[in-house]
Amino acid sequence: MAAEIGLASLTLAFISAIYATIASLLGGFRGEYSWQLSGRNAALLTFPLLLLATACLVGALLGEQYQLSYVYDVSDPQTPPLYRFTALWGAQKGSLLFWALLMSAFTFGAIALNWRAERRLMPYAIATMMATLAFFLGLSLLLENPFERWWVLPEMPAGEQVISSALIPPGAVPPAEANLRAGAQGLNPLLRHFGMVIHPPMLYLGFVGFTIPFAFAMAALAAGDLSSGWIKATRRWTLIAWIFLSIGLILGGRWAYDVLGWGGYWGWDPVENAAFLPWLVGTAFLHSVMIQEKRGMLKLWNIVLVITSFSAVMFGTFATRSGVIDSVHSFARSEVGFPMLAFWLVMTLIALAATLRRWQQGALRDEHQFASFLSRESLFVLNNVVFMALFIAIFWGSFGLPIVSELILGKEVTIGAETFEFYVVPLFIAMYLLMGIAPLSAWGASSARRLGAALRAPLAATAAIVLLLILLGTDPLVALLGYGIALFAGAVAITEILRGARARRQTLGESPLRAVCALFQRNQRRYGGYIVHLGVTVIGIGVIGSTVFQTEVQHTLTRGDTVAVREYGLRFDDFFRAQAVDGRMMNISAVTVLRDGREIARLRPRIDDYPQMPMTIAGAHSTLENDFYVLLIKGDGARATFRIYINPLVNLVWWGGILLVLGTAIAAYPKITPAPRAQKREELAYDDTR
Amino acid sequence: MPDTSWEKPKNFHTQRRGQRLKFIGAGLIILLAVAALLVSGTLQGARYFITVDEVLADASYRGRTVRIAGAVAGETIEYDSERAIIRFEIVSIPSEYDDLAQALHAALQDPAAARLKIVVADAAIPDLLQHEAQAILTGELGNDGIFHASELLLKCPSRFEESTAPAGLSQIPEHA
Repeated sequence: MAAEIGLASLTLAFISAIYATIASLLGGFRGEYSWQLSGRNAALLTFPLLLLATACLVGALLGEQYQLSYVYDVSDPQTPPLYRFTALWGAQKGSLLFWALLMSAFTFGAIALNWRAERRLMPYAIATMMATLAFFLGLSLLLENPFERWWVLPEMPAGEQVISSALIPPGAVPPAEANLRAGAQGLNPLLRHFGMVIHPPMLYLGFVGFTIPFAFAMAALAAGDLSSGWIKATRRWTLIAWIFLSIGLILGGRWAYDVLGWGGYWGWDPVENAAFLPWLVGTAFLHSVMIQEKRGMLKLWNIVLVITSFSAVMFGTFATRSGVIDSVHSFARSEVGFPMLAFWLVMTLIALAATLRRWQQGALRDEHQFASFLSRESLFVLNNVVFMALFIAIFWGSFGLPIVSELILGKEVTIGAETFEFYVVPLFIAMYLLMGIAPLSAWGASSARRLGAALRAPLAATAAIVLLLILLGTDPLVALLGYGIALFAGAVAITEILRGARARRQTLGESPLRAVCALFQRNQRRYGGYIVHLGVTVIGIGVIGSTVFQTEVQHTLTRGDTVAVREYGLRFDDFFRAQAVDGRMMNISAVTVLRDGREIARLRPRIDDYPQMPMTIAGAHSTLENDFYVLLIKGDGARATFRIYINPLVNLVWWGGILLVLGTAIAAYPKITPAPRAQKREELAYDDTR
Repeated sequence: MPDTSWEKPKNFHTQRRGQRLKFIGAGLIILLAVAALLVSGTLQGARYFITVDEVLADASYRGRTVRIAGAVAGETIEYDSERAIIRFEIVSIPSEYDDLAQALHAALQDPAAARLKIVVADAAIPDLLQHEAQAILTGELGNDGIFHASELLLKCPSRFEESTAPAGLSQIPEHA
């Protein structure tokens, strides 16, 4: 029954999305309110319909309805309930439905929040969002239907008797329950990790979130209203998308670190890069949008950035799902590749053509010119250049070079992690320097002298810390330089917060804590932004520490033996086998971590035997200073081989990520200011006239 | 009181043009710097992604860093845990195929398909290194005829791809 209801809801949502696109476009271009309203209502309807469809699939997963081929593919009778639920996004079919649900939820939210204020833009925005949704629902219905079921056709010759179909074929009977249960596949063991439980939904929320600013940009282009209205309507949506994408990227790194067992968190894998690309463009947009709001400049650039971020999202989705790219993520190979590529191309070309038309009409002309190299807008532009250079370099290395070489030379040419590092290190240095300098410059014009004076305190603080590091014996020089540059950006953020708080204390006599709180309350964006900068500083320090100073060794120990690794020791205490509740056997080693002869932790690195493959589960003792990370390579009761990593400061990467998310949340948190009565009355009156 | 004037200075347009040129010049320098970074990085780090047949047939690839892909022959996997050295063999797969799992399976069934010995030094043995996995390796073919890999990426399509009509389901249902 769940399959029938789910299929019906999915079909109705598809029809609603197509209708909403057409009705909204008609309403927008003809200026007819009844069509606009009808389109809006159809768009709103997609959300409950998709919620029902998703509930049906989740119900089937939890209820072990293995006749659904999706349930059969991603779970088995041993799968625990949490992973049954998260199997919703464990493979292509479910995750496409989940993607569509999130898209309809965001559309619902955008309509609820922006319908009144952005009445002129909304029909076109809804049409864009619904066209995107309709495309994904079409894929889901026609190519990757999550409600397909296994059927047996007894009349057919052997070997062709079993088919998967969403509708019941004539003469078909369901397979035997026992056969279904016995054959069910179970979730990919690599995906059984808390990072994988949350990472895909966060990434999808980020990806889907970037559709909203794109939809408003398209609306502004269609309506010819290219003032900053569309930017104000979508700035918060962009921040929300950015926050989720950031969480998704950080959790993806954490998953790789915990599960893939190579002691790293970022491998410059094409699919990782595909998720990083929209983040880079989104970051550039979040900065340049301020210039349009404050100075009425970069209108064309901002439109191009929003289109690029959406385009990068679509390309990233294609890259992840088509399976055409050699990557550790390519377990989702399927037929959706070509339609996705076509959709990406069509949407990008339409958007660029609309932008070109408005640009030719002069609707994207800037209100001011750049006056000085050191003005804040010039430095923000430079920051945008750095982000776009990172975008181009990573895109080139991941996709551009392999595709171009294949076309021209007939042979694929690729680059490795070391070349990506060669590209990005100078660009990241420029990014950190600008992150420090730009917030200190003034809008319009800024003199070198003034800027120099503002830089004095953060530079002095940075120099003092670097000196301390030298005295503590830190080398090599490259690490010191790296720390210095990252610390400088953080020092600017801290000194700016302190400067603001001191000014409040002096003028208003507030206590230090109250002054800081009031500062954040009065200017969430600016000070939330400083927290984000601090987070990026902390991440930078973590990355430098864990890459420059990483130790990696492998040792075979007999029971009771201890091996020394830097200031640590590892003692092999025991080895045993045990069975988990889901039936898998676990080969568990018990080890003790020592430091200066003292026991500091007991770990149990192990290897789990899943039917599809063994899975190595690391044991880690984590402190802010170091991660002592141990993998069991093989073992028995007498001897065991361990691979040991010491990753200095690696936990700062995760803590920096938390700071970054916190800062963005502060910047995006809605300010609750009651609307003046007169304005409210005016809005109501406007409503009544329509 | 400071001097103020409602009129634009006489050289306003020239000043603006000069400023504009400066910005364009700076932009061009940055663009060139980024292009130089990309070109030099690509020239240094680029390597061909070729088949096992190609690396064996063309002697010019010997000693050069290349990327190759092949099907892992499960029975050949050996791991020297004392020295952290992985040894296995891969079998040539065509550069283009419709279904990776089938291509890997077919390659390992073909006794005539070219085989290549692989050595990966100082590495933990990856969980995905299994029979019929696709190995994507970066490294050099040595004069000893062994491919010395510095990077190993693995895919096991047959294990995680959506199932295609499992034959076991066709046994007559109990209630039919």
